[in-house]
Amino acid sequence: MRNLLSVVILLSVVFASCKEDDSVNTDNKFDRGQMLENYVENLIIPSYKNSQYSVSQMVIAFESFSSEITLQNLENAQNAWTSAFGEWMHANIFNLGPAAEQGLNKSMSEEISTFPISPTKINAALSSGQFNFFDFNRDARGFLTLEYLLFSGQDIDNDSVLSMFQNQIERKRYLVDCARNIQTRINVVVNEWENGYKEEFLRKNGTDVGSSTSQLYNEFVKSFETNKNFKIELPLGKRPGQTQIEPQLVEAYYSGKSLYFLKIHLKAIENVYFGMSKNGTDGLGFKDYLETVTGGPALIESTLAQWEKVLSTLNAIPTTSSLSDLIKNNPQPLEEFRVELQKHTRFFKSDMSSLLGIAITFSSGDGD
Amino acid sequence: MIDKVHNYLNAKVSAAPLISFRLIFGALMVFSTLRFMWLGWIEDHYINPVFQFKYWGFEWVSALSLEGMYLVHFLMILSAIGIMFLRGFAYRISAIFLFLTFTYTELIDLTYYLNHYYFVSLICLLLIFMPSQISPFFDLSKQQVKRSTLFILKVQIAILYVFAGLAKINYDWLIEALPLKIWVPANDKLPLIGSLFTWEITPYLFSWIGMLYDTFIVLFLIYKPTRKWAYFTVIVFHTLTGLIFQIGVFPLVMMGIATIFFSDEWHIRFVRFLVRIKSPKVLEYTYKLKTNALNYFLFAYLVFQLLFPWRYLLYSGNLFWTEEGYRFSWRVMLMEKAGTATFYVKDSQTSREGIVVNSDFLNAHQEKQMAMQPDMILQFAHFLGKYYEQKGVHKPIVRAEVFVTLNARQSQLLIDPERDLMKEKDSFRPKDWIIQYQN
Repeated sequence: MRNLLSVVILLSVVFASCKEDDSVNTDNKFDRGQMLENYVENLIIPSYKNSQYSVSQMVIAFESFSSEITLQNLENAQNAWTSAFGEWMHANIFNLGPAAEQGLNKSMSEEISTFPISPTKINAALSSGQFNFFDFNRDARGFLTLEYLLFSGQDIDNDSVLSMFQNQIERKRYLVDCARNIQTRINVVVNEWENGYKEEFLRKNGTDVGSSTSQLYNEFVKSFETNKNFKIELPLGKRPGQTQIEPQLVEAYYSGKSLYFLKIHLKAIENVYFGMSKNGTDGLGFKDYLETVTGGPALIESTLAQWEKVLSTLNAIPTTSSLSDLIKNNPQPLEEFRVELQKHTRFFKSDMSSLLGIAITFSSGDGD
Repeated sequence: MIDKVHNYLNAKVSAAPLISFRLIFGALMVFSTLRFMWLGWIEDHYINPVFQFKYWGFEWVSALSLEGMYLVHFLMILSAIGIMFLRGFAYRISAIFLFLTFTYTELIDLTYYLNHYYFVSLICLLLIFMPSQISPFFDLSKQQVKRSTLFILKVQIAILYVFAGLAKINYDWLIEALPLKIWVPANDKLPLIGSLFTWEITPYLFSWIGMLYDTFIVLFLIYKPTRKWAYFTVIVFHTLTGLIFQIGVFPLVMMGIATIFFSDEWHIRFVRFLVRIKSPKVLEYTYKLKTNALNYFLFAYLVFQLLFPWRYLLYSGNLFWTEEGYRFSWRVMLMEKAGTATFYVKDSQTSREGIVVNSDFLNAHQEKQMAMQPDMILQFAHFLGKYYEQKGVHKPIVRAEVFVTLNARQSQLLIDPERDLMKEKDSFRPKDWIIQYQN
């Protein structure tokens, strides 16, 4: 015991002497609180507010269109949809706090941007005239339902779309109500962030499950994986059991703008990694956090090198035809992009959480 | 010499430590089972998963319905209360049920394997063979048991600690302070002590203290003059680990059962504090001293416990990487390991190969555990093969690309990404499809 005691005393002396010497290891300190502040002030809330604004503009454009069904108003509505969905590509990563799955509600991105949508369900609702945007039919609402109504397919020109709206009186009501539902939901989330959740987010500054860092990280990875798993692999017919390509499964199939949104989404993910706002202000983010931990610099190097390849294969995808057409006619560039995304997964997924010591699940693991 | 040992172990000693051990252990079991149910883990662990990872040799164990699982847990609680207060046949039945229900729930899914669950199972097993006549409701000073009954419990506790300590004697733990260098700073927001965790020296101190603590604590608990201090460090140590790691009730369990090393007088006072009886009657029972068979069983048990953790020596390669012989060896919170596993299922007729989304079948915890442990990867591969064969894929060829990071080093391939895992079987034989660790 005497030995143990002396060890303890010795150690406390070492401890105490460290405390005096502030030069020890101040560099290694990373302020997660500051990182969270950057995320909430410069990324999360601005993305949601941009979304909120662009959705409100979209609702206005839809209302004008519905009161006056003209080609010009249709084009305005389509443009308003495109910019609103583009903004949503930034906000859809942040399925946490008020945007997280709660009770019967799924996460925000599932509630308002599920794809593929179900034309059958939408058409059934249109002919019955009974709409409910709060039920379980997430594939009959949200941004991609709006897209289906506004574009109706790549081979269909706007004159035909226009006549659909003219012939089917419920169609414009569905369009406007569906857009208002998105607006209501986004308003709720923005409101909760601004009235209390921001403080809670900043308060939960640990790395345990339920901490803001852990939640944000999980959503970041999930969002990243969505690109590979669902936006690329599934339409390419890459799931076991799929026997052919299914190009109609791409996101934003009806407008043919899949690639445009995919690029925004990946840019938004890159921003989260760096802690950079949409307008390019660089603050503390996961990358900066990684810089301060064991093995972090090496991981950053591999991550950035691989991300280069992800981006270069992404940019090599021809933009002259839609993603679904490419899948049919020229899948090779997509295949190359998919492979690089696959290679990148581990850097964001297991390597990063392991190095940062972020807890992912409630149960204990790793040992005990 | 053998006579001496025999006499020592068969000597009659106060039953108070054993009575109080049962009260403490039973109460902890009741508490942790209630907590488990309250957290909704019956649903999360046993009901919701599409797929359960099996223990080798226990593939036949599977979860019951929701009602069935609740029933098992209620039985577990009743049995735990039983071992606290019942005597004779009723005690024996309680102990058997406690062992069976607890071990059954542990065997359902390998994902949730923890050394401490294994430990609890072993204690439950040993309790079955303990004297059944003793009781907290009678005069404690007159009740006696053979010393061997307490001895085996103490040895079991010592095995846990000492092996856990020895396992920490490795380069990463002592010299690099890994993985604590990762885990400690991640907890810098803990109240009061959090700021200590940002110091560069803290993980080193914790690593060394942890190793010394585990290896020697039992000695200091046995030796009377140091006992008080040693128990104080038990409280501090387990409180700290409880704060840093998500390990639920185990710090409490260890604090509770370490009291077995306390004196008879302490235990008498403790039991009387819990079970207040003014003038308890003397319990009349005859203690049968035959049970040689039982002694042989306990001896064999101990030999097994002492040898089994060393089986890793029979395998070549880095133990932390291959995990061949890793479980059931008291390797507790030793490494930070994580992986990303991508499974490819190929139709051997059409040659069309598809990529699996793991989360279609596994919850986050299952995926995390699977992605770094070769035997679990193999099990999942076989599940996928069977699943997709039913979905119309002809004679599926299943391979997996698994990148694993160990103690913050750059991730590397864990297994041969070209190997058809459907052709491999899990056994104690070395797995030649594991790619050896490159440092």
